[in-house]
Amino acid sequence: MAELEDAAIARWLEPLASDQGDVAEVFVETRRRTVVDWSDGEPGEARVALEAGVSARLRRAGRERLVFVSGAGEGEVREAIRGLTSSSGKTAAAHSAPAPPPFESEPDPAVDRWIRRLGPIFARHAGRGRLTWSLVDLDRRVVPSGLPPARSTRRLFSLEGSFTAASRRGDEIRAFSFHAPEADSTADELKVALTTASLPRERPVPFGDPRGDVLFSGGTAAVLFHEILSHTLEAGAEESPLSRLSEARVAVPDLDVRDDASRLDLFGGYERDDEGTRPRVVKLLDSGRLGGTLSDRSHGGARGSTGHGRRAGPADPPLPRGSNTVVSPGQATTEEMVRRLANGLWIDEIQSGSVELASGQWRLEYPHARRVRRGRFADEVGPGILAGEILSTLSAVEPVVGREVRACRSLGWCSRAGQVVPVQGAAPDVLVRRLSVRDR
Amino acid sequence: MSADRLSGLLERRSPGAWELYRKVSDARETDLTRSERREAFRRENGWAARWWDRGLRFACASDPERLAAAVAEASRLPARAEAPPRLPGSKGERPAPDGDRPLPPDVFERLGQLVAEKSRGEAVLASLALRSGRAEERIVNGAGLSVSTGVARRDGVARAVGRRDSKGCETRAVFRWDGEPDLESLAGRLADGATFPLAPRGVTFARGAWLLDPGVAAAVLAAIAPLFCADTLPRWVKKSDFAARRVRIADDASADAPFDGEGTPTRRVLVVEDGALAARLHDLRSAARAAELPTGHGVRPSYRDLPRPGPRRLFLETSQGSSPRELLGSVGRGVFARALTAPVSVDLALDRYDVQFTGVSILAGRATEPVAGARVRGRVSELLSRFGAIGTDLQFFPMPYPAGAPTVLIEKVTFE
Repeated sequence: MAELEDAAIARWLEPLASDQGDVAEVFVETRRRTVVDWSDGEPGEARVALEAGVSARLRRAGRERLVFVSGAGEGEVREAIRGLTSSSGKTAAAHSAPAPPPFESEPDPAVDRWIRRLGPIFARHAGRGRLTWSLVDLDRRVVPSGLPPARSTRRLFSLEGSFTAASRRGDEIRAFSFHAPEADSTADELKVALTTASLPRERPVPFGDPRGDVLFSGGTAAVLFHEILSHTLEAGAEESPLSRLSEARVAVPDLDVRDDASRLDLFGGYERDDEGTRPRVVKLLDSGRLGGTLSDRSHGGARGSTGHGRRAGPADPPLPRGSNTVVSPGQATTEEMVRRLANGLWIDEIQSGSVELASGQWRLEYPHARRVRRGRFADEVGPGILAGEILSTLSAVEPVVGREVRACRSLGWCSRAGQVVPVQGAAPDVLVRRLSVRDR
Repeated sequence: MSADRLSGLLERRSPGAWELYRKVSDARETDLTRSERREAFRRENGWAARWWDRGLRFACASDPERLAAAVAEASRLPARAEAPPRLPGSKGERPAPDGDRPLPPDVFERLGQLVAEKSRGEAVLASLALRSGRAEERIVNGAGLSVSTGVARRDGVARAVGRRDSKGCETRAVFRWDGEPDLESLAGRLADGATFPLAPRGVTFARGAWLLDPGVAAAVLAAIAPLFCADTLPRWVKKSDFAARRVRIADDASADAPFDGEGTPTRRVLVVEDGALAARLHDLRSAARAAELPTGHGVRPSYRDLPRPGPRRLFLETSQGSSPRELLGSVGRGVFARALTAPVSVDLALDRYDVQFTGVSILAGRATEPVAGARVRGRVSELLSRFGAIGTDLQFFPMPYPAGAPTVLIEKVTFE
């Protein structure tokens, strides 16, 4: 859209948003995605995607219309807006679009750099296995009617798959997932994550007990709170058990959880949301009391959007979604937390999670865990499923929280209503009592 | 840049060993809730190229200029050496079926009313997303292939919420309407899925027969479907003794599209016949690796994806079926699994499955009381060998490809 001025688009949109509260906007995305499948330390299939799309949206009094067209030139922007106007019965300025300029693209030098780096990393830490590496370069522009235009760019690094690790019971295949915004420190963080994931483990035994106390370590508490706080406090989540408990005390005063999209060091961060709003830090849990909701322009009301209107891509409408779930640190050391757990499960990896708002039930799947007996690490346990009810889980969080906050790099993508957006979180060690535990 | 110029570019890079794919789609999606109406119109253009040049390479883009740039970038990446498969060279064209059948304007209200009636007022329709559209796919390749296929679709997902006292439950039902909208059946699935889990009890006996609703049986079938496309079968799979003798599983998408995502003609493949694993579903590359012929199962979920072997319209069939009522009447003690409460979990390598569901308990051939939740888990091999009887009420569900099953009776399982 560089050749097309934001001011011109804003002028075309102006007649559409005639009433206060109307939302009219144009959203343009260009995306470059480079993927290389690595098999046993060697690059296998190579894929490159270069895509552009534009959508125009009009929202008025509970009705919304979105028109998406592939491409990002002036012709596509005009076509998307025309699609809105023809369906809303109004007309916008009609001009014939000039021919698009020839598309020019320079190869991303970071891709070559990563491929040179990844070979030796895999050779050392994950020589046998299938891992898919991707680097996504996103450039998003929003031109809203009556508000300044905004632009946001992100570079997202992901490595997912499985590899064979040596174990005391023989070789075993372990799933691996690592997501981070591309940065100077990414390679070092990846090496540490792979080293940790490939450590030898004992033969796992079933946990056996239907309930247990669980110490969420390695930042995994971020996944729990992403499910039970972030999703339940998304604006418009009418069935959420928290929707009518504004400012109620639901957990210990030592617990602070916030959604912080401005944390650009985390996978779910951004400078502007997909409606062009600068994100605000939202306290989901403020000293144990329920905080605010995550809203977009449609649900913001008088207080306005919190900057959480997010889209999977230009073909999708924005929805209020969480970004980075961040838990504030406490005072306890890791050793103190394990001692405090006394008997239960120590978990440093979560595979997946889900929540059902109407019943208030959540579940997390873990690939492995350690049993703790009398404050000491005992058997290897797993895989299994943790489950519980949102309010009773919040009330079962122990008042003592770990002091060291870690990013949960295995958390990377969240799906809702078919839209997948990048998310992440960071958390210290958090201890939750009496969770339902089931061996898989 | 035109398709011809792109073809020329690919031919120069990899003479005879390339493929160019284009998809143009027009879709309309309507999302309805009690207070909101969202409509989305999408006109998507997708281009993809696959070629073998010191290994397999793939590029995709939203327009031909970007595709040319993506091809250049993908050519620079390292790739493992792989010989190109023998590409098909047929020609053919089939346009999308005519006429976009409009949906009833009050579909949300009608479905909502049916859900309320069938649940005796305990469940409400929370949202309904309807998708309809047409797409045209065109494939050309270095062997002279030129095929074009038009497809039309109408599917969606509905969500209902059940409430009883302080308990709540949510359920989702995906549906696909090849003909007229079947609101009655959808409302029944939503009402039962949203209210059965609110029942006071789970299953009260440990062992019995397990009667699977077509939707549950189709989900189980879809969960084991990767076995039908695997290069290497797990050690527990015995080809001649894969399932009970009466089990027949076929894949036949010939009514949907004459070609697959690589231009291979579609044909019916009997994957399981009389309980024996009879054939594998192949795309071009898997067929080349196995030194077999492609079966027309190169699947592209989107133009962004490389074609992979996969089912296209997979279904369980039988020549000795019984009506669902007869199947119910044959159960002495058991549970009818009406809806899943969690996705079917299957570990094919370890021969394990885990199904969590809600339904109705059956005693002496009669449905007695709702079962809030139950779980059946065990070995996939044992599950397949215990298929006792198969119904005649074959229904298809988007998984996302159409997966079809009738009511299925499994003999003797342990309920948790």
